[in-house]
Amino acid sequence: MDTLGYLGQGFGVALTPYNLITALIGTLIGTVVGLLPGLGPINGVALLIPVAFALGLPPESALILLAAVYLGCEYGGRISSILLNIPGEASTVMTTLDGYPMARQGMAGVALSLSAWSSFIGAFIAICGMVLFAPLLAKWAIAFGPAEYFVLMVFAIVALGGMAGDRPMKTFIAALLGLFLSTIGIDANSGVYRFTFDSIHVADGIQFVVLVLGLFSVSEMLLLLEKTHHGHVAVKATGRMLFNVKEAASVFVVNLRCGLMGFVLGVLPGAGATLASAVAYMTEKKIAGEKGNFGKGDMRGLAAPETAIGAAACGAMVPMLTLGVPGSGTTAVMIGALTLYNITPGPMLFQEQPDIVWGLIASLFIANFMLVILNIPMIRLFTRILNVPNWVLVPVIAIITSIGVYAVHATTFDLFLMVIIGIFGYILRKLDFPLSPLLLGFILGGLMEQNLRRALSISNGELGILWGSPITMGVWVLVVVMLALPIVRIWRRRAKQRREVANA
Amino acid sequence: MLFQRLFSAGWLVACLVFAYLAWSYQAAFSYEPVGPRAFPLLMLGLMAAALLWLTLRPTHIEHKEGEPVLDRESLRKVMACVVLMLVYAGLFEPLGFIVSSTVVGMLMGRLYGGRWKPSAIAAVLISIGLYVLFDRTLDVPLPLGVLDFLEL
Repeated sequence: MDTLGYLGQGFGVALTPYNLITALIGTLIGTVVGLLPGLGPINGVALLIPVAFALGLPPESALILLAAVYLGCEYGGRISSILLNIPGEASTVMTTLDGYPMARQGMAGVALSLSAWSSFIGAFIAICGMVLFAPLLAKWAIAFGPAEYFVLMVFAIVALGGMAGDRPMKTFIAALLGLFLSTIGIDANSGVYRFTFDSIHVADGIQFVVLVLGLFSVSEMLLLLEKTHHGHVAVKATGRMLFNVKEAASVFVVNLRCGLMGFVLGVLPGAGATLASAVAYMTEKKIAGEKGNFGKGDMRGLAAPETAIGAAACGAMVPMLTLGVPGSGTTAVMIGALTLYNITPGPMLFQEQPDIVWGLIASLFIANFMLVILNIPMIRLFTRILNVPNWVLVPVIAIITSIGVYAVHATTFDLFLMVIIGIFGYILRKLDFPLSPLLLGFILGGLMEQNLRRALSISNGELGILWGSPITMGVWVLVVVMLALPIVRIWRRRAKQRREVANA
Repeated sequence: MLFQRLFSAGWLVACLVFAYLAWSYQAAFSYEPVGPRAFPLLMLGLMAAALLWLTLRPTHIEHKEGEPVLDRESLRKVMACVVLMLVYAGLFEPLGFIVSSTVVGMLMGRLYGGRWKPSAIAAVLISIGLYVLFDRTLDVPLPLGVLDFLEL
C-alpha cells in the first residue's frame, strides 16, 4: 500500500498550479512539434532541454515538461498520419493504414478523437503497470553491482539489433559508433584526454544536445529538401469531432489487449513503440479475420496501433526510471536531460527522490488527460499548422535548432560540429542505418565504461566477475538469444524463399 | 551499392586511425586494472569487424514508397543547404543572431521553393520573433552582433 501513498504524493507534486501549467504548455508545444514534418519527439525533447535549464525550472518541473512534450509529440504525429497520410515517424506508419481511409470517409474528427482516446487507455494501462511493477523492479535492481549493470547494458544494445528486423548489422554498427563517440573527451578516471586533437571544445566530450540535434534535425532538413516539389493536401476535419459511446465500446476490448501488449513491448529495451504498433495491428487483423474491414477504415485498425503506441511510450519509462537504462531514443534523451540536472536515474532514485519519480508518473496521467481534452477545441488550429509551407518551416527549424545548440555552451564551435554531425547523419540515413541506436549507445557509453572498469577493479582484473553471479548469467543467456534472433530470422526467410522457388 | 562500399571502407580506415591513436592512451600512474584505452579499443575493434563485413557484403537498400531517387538536382540543393548552414554557423556571432538569421533564413526559404519577397518577409519576422521569444522571455542569451549599438 506504500505505492498508493507515494502515488498520492506524486499527484500532490503534479497538481500544483505551476506544474499543471508546465504540463499544459508541454503538451501544446509537443503537439505542434510532433505535427510538423521533420520534427519528432527526440528533437522536441532535446530542443527544450537548454530552455528548461535556462528558465531555471526545478528538476521535477523540467521532467514533467519533457514528459508532456514527449506525449504531445506522439499525439501530434498521429494528426499528420490521419489527415495527410504521412507518418511523422516510424511508429505511426500503422496509424495511417486505417486512420487515413477513415478521414477520407469524412470521419476525420472521429478518427482523431478516437485515436487520442485509445492512446489514453493504452497509457493508462501502462501507467498502472508502471505503478505496480516499477517499485518492485527498483527494489530488485538495488542488488545490482557494476558487473550486473554492465551486462544489462550489453543486453540493451544487443536487444536493439535483435529487434531491429532486417538490418541487425547496421544497427550494431550505429550503436557501436555511439558507444565510441561517448569516449571522446577527458577520461574521468585517469585524466587522459581521448580523441580531442588538443581542442578545448571537445575536452569534456561531445555535448549530447549537439549530437541529437545534428543527427535528427539537420539530417531531416536535408531530407525535406528532396521533397520540396510534391505537395500533400490535408483532409479537412469537418463534422462530428467526438466519437460516441457505441464506437468507443466497439474497440474497448481491442484497447485492453493492445494496451497490455504495448506495455510489455515498451518495457523491453530496443523494442519500443514501432514494434508494438506493428505487432498490435497484425494481431488484431488476424483476430478480426474475414469480417474485419482492415485497411479500409476499420476503427479497430486505428485503435490497435494507437493504444499500443500510448502504452509503449509510457512503458519505455520503466527501465529508464528503475534501472537507468533507456529503452528508446526518446528516453535516452530524457536520461541526458536528467544527467544535466545531476540526477542519476536508477533504483536509488525511488528511495532518494520519490517526489521526482512519482510526480513524473502522476503527470503522465495528467498529460494524457489533457491531450484528450485538447483534441476537441484545438483540432482546427492544429490542422491549419499542417498547411505551413516548407519555405517557412525549414528556416524556423534551422534557426531554432541552432539556438538550442548555441544555448548549451554559447560557442559557434558547437554549431559547426552540429552541421558536420548532421551531414554524417544524412548519409547514414540514406544508407539505411538506424539513428536511435547511435543515440542510445552514446548515452549508455559513459555508464557502460564506468561500470566495466569498476567491476574489474573490484575483481582486480579478473574477467570472471562479468559472468559470476546468477543475474549476470541470466542476462548473458538473454544476450545470446537476442544475438541469435536475427540469424534465425534470416535463416527462416531463406528457407521460405527456397520453398517458394521449389514450388514454382 | 558502390557508394555504400566506399563509405564503409572509409569508415573502417577512420576506425583504424582512431585505434592507432587510442593505443598510446595510458594513465600516468594507474590504480585500476583497466586503463583508459581498453573500452574505446574494444568498441573500435568490434566496429571495424562489423564494417569489414559490410564492406565485403553490402546490404541491399530498400527504397521506401514515394521516396524520390537522389538525382543531381537534389544533390546540388543538399550541398547548397549544407553550405548555408556552415555560413550561418560562421556568421552567428560576428553578425549577431537577428541579422544572420534573416540572411540565412531568406536564402533557405528560396532553396525550399519560396519566392523572394515572401521568403524575405518571413525570415525577418521569424528572426525578430525568435529573438524576442528566446532572448527576452526564455532567458537564452543570443548574440546581438552588429545590432549591438541598439542596446535593446
